[in-house]
Amino acid sequence: METITFNIKRFDGERTWNQEYRLPRETSTLLGCLTKIREEQDPTLNFTSNCRAAICGSCAVQVNGSAFLACETQLDALLDTYQTTTLYLEPLNHFPVVRDLVVDFAPVEKGMRKVDAWLCPSKERRDHLQSEADFHKIAKPADCILCGVCVSECRELAYDDGTYLPPAMMNKAYRFERDSRDGERGKRVLAALKNNLWKCIHCEQCSSKCPKKIPVADEVSYLRRRAIALGETKSEGARHAFSFYDDVRATGLLNETMLALRTEGLGKTVANRMPFAIRMVAAGKMNPLHAPKPVPGIESVRKLYEFSQKMEKEV
Amino acid sequence: MAKLRYAFFPGCTLESAAGELKVSTEKTCKALGIELAEVPGWTCCGAAQIQDIDDFLGVAINARNIALAEKAGFDKMLTVCNTCTLMLRTAKKRLDEDEALRAKVNEALVPMGLRYEGTCEITHYLWALVQDYGLDNLKKRVKRPLSNLSVANFYGCHILMPPDVMGFENPRNPRSMEMLAEALGARNVDFEQRLACCGFHAIYPAECEALASNGVSCLTARAAGADCLVTPCPLCHMAIDMWQADSQKRFDADITMPVLHLPQLVGLALGFTPKEMAIDRHVVKAAPMLERKLT
Repeated sequence: METITFNIKRFDGERTWNQEYRLPRETSTLLGCLTKIREEQDPTLNFTSNCRAAICGSCAVQVNGSAFLACETQLDALLDTYQTTTLYLEPLNHFPVVRDLVVDFAPVEKGMRKVDAWLCPSKERRDHLQSEADFHKIAKPADCILCGVCVSECRELAYDDGTYLPPAMMNKAYRFERDSRDGERGKRVLAALKNNLWKCIHCEQCSSKCPKKIPVADEVSYLRRRAIALGETKSEGARHAFSFYDDVRATGLLNETMLALRTEGLGKTVANRMPFAIRMVAAGKMNPLHAPKPVPGIESVRKLYEFSQKMEKEV
Repeated sequence: MAKLRYAFFPGCTLESAAGELKVSTEKTCKALGIELAEVPGWTCCGAAQIQDIDDFLGVAINARNIALAEKAGFDKMLTVCNTCTLMLRTAKKRLDEDEALRAKVNEALVPMGLRYEGTCEITHYLWALVQDYGLDNLKKRVKRPLSNLSVANFYGCHILMPPDVMGFENPRNPRSMEMLAEALGARNVDFEQRLACCGFHAIYPAECEALASNGVSCLTARAAGADCLVTPCPLCHMAIDMWQADSQKRFDADITMPVLHLPQLVGLALGFTPKEMAIDRHVVKAAPMLERKLT
């Protein structure tokens, strides 16, 4: 029978090392493998788990650099994905490590406080009734089990200075912003904005790796649209997005030459971007005199803008 | 093999900062006998920005782009940008799955003489070579195997994710770029930033993070013995090539790493010179390295 090697990153509070364990290949979840290692080979191996049914969110770990919920991940699927018989296990990224594969979820708790991730009931209502349509607005984001997979995979957090709101908290902000029973509409949008909403790269890691398939990146787009609707249009991120929006209406194409100027303003561009601009011109990548001409049929593009602006939509 | 024919969606960058990608895409396709016909009147895909202002508009402009290709008689549109591919495929998926949305978009398009039918698929140059052209066929066209060249493949996010929209391969461990490079005779190196993000879409509000990440990409590729990074996305290329001097300021060690567009790598193996692939149009010069490696 094939032997599978689990190379696990260990941490005892002071020392970090890698330790190998071997199991015969058999049909099992990743959590099943970890449990077997602890029960049969090493009772000192630390990891967390509880429900074994993808509900409690406590067993997420990294395998070969990517986060998985251990209880719902089949060993065979991992071996098939990575075409290997050796798996490298580590604790989740972007959390303080307590022991071995156990991480401290304090950053999540802190993030939840930042966005008031709880219902603030509307004072104008005495009931808790919700229409089916309103329920469906929050059904998917309410599936979040706070497993930390999206936090671990977030590419913005990988090099962030600690001020960015983890994607799980963006989801919470969205979930309560859209709850028809809540009385504090706009509050979480502004909280997300204050915590660098526009730093999201739209890399789609959160949406793609979430065990509950919550489209967090789309939720970030919604929060940004809401922020704009609330008049928050002056941040670099918003100005950057408006550069594209305005250019497509004007010519159909982005005017790259003007992008930095319109995003950052004259002062910052002159102060920071001159070496960059010189490099670009020298390499033949930018012609400061070039401006895109309108594409054939630009009138039809502008009509789409008019059509969309006249449409009734939430944001 | 029947002649491959695609509607070509260049995307904004090919009209300016990544003009060399247009040159290399068109020349390599011609050399491989692949017909490209530029979509008349195409516009920006929204670049993962416009949906943050107007979600419907983000879908509608791409419905128009696809409808233009359909009207020109194409059943497949080829892009060379990860984000263009994602934006077009996202619009297509939403339109194909949501009858009410499709009806609304067509309500706007029909008076313009256009209609979104959903008959035109969206593919990327990388996928077209692997899936439609075939790597065995490609191997037969290789005139100069890149056997001295070690490449670090930098996929970029939007060619992989979200998988329910992109779906070509498993985003946790894709292999298409390695398979393609191998078919061209190049040596693949593994490096920890293979699936990292270039940070392009937030490069103004999150510049520090992007510069740090891209510097690490260059350093780890160097440590793995790579001669260059290769990317299927002009936005990744811009973030790592054009901003590399800014990344360098954050590192003591030399991070210098040339970055090639995927069609340029293909072109070199097909026998084109670096100049013919417009590789001299990069900020980080690849010519000295290629002179050593292509002999």
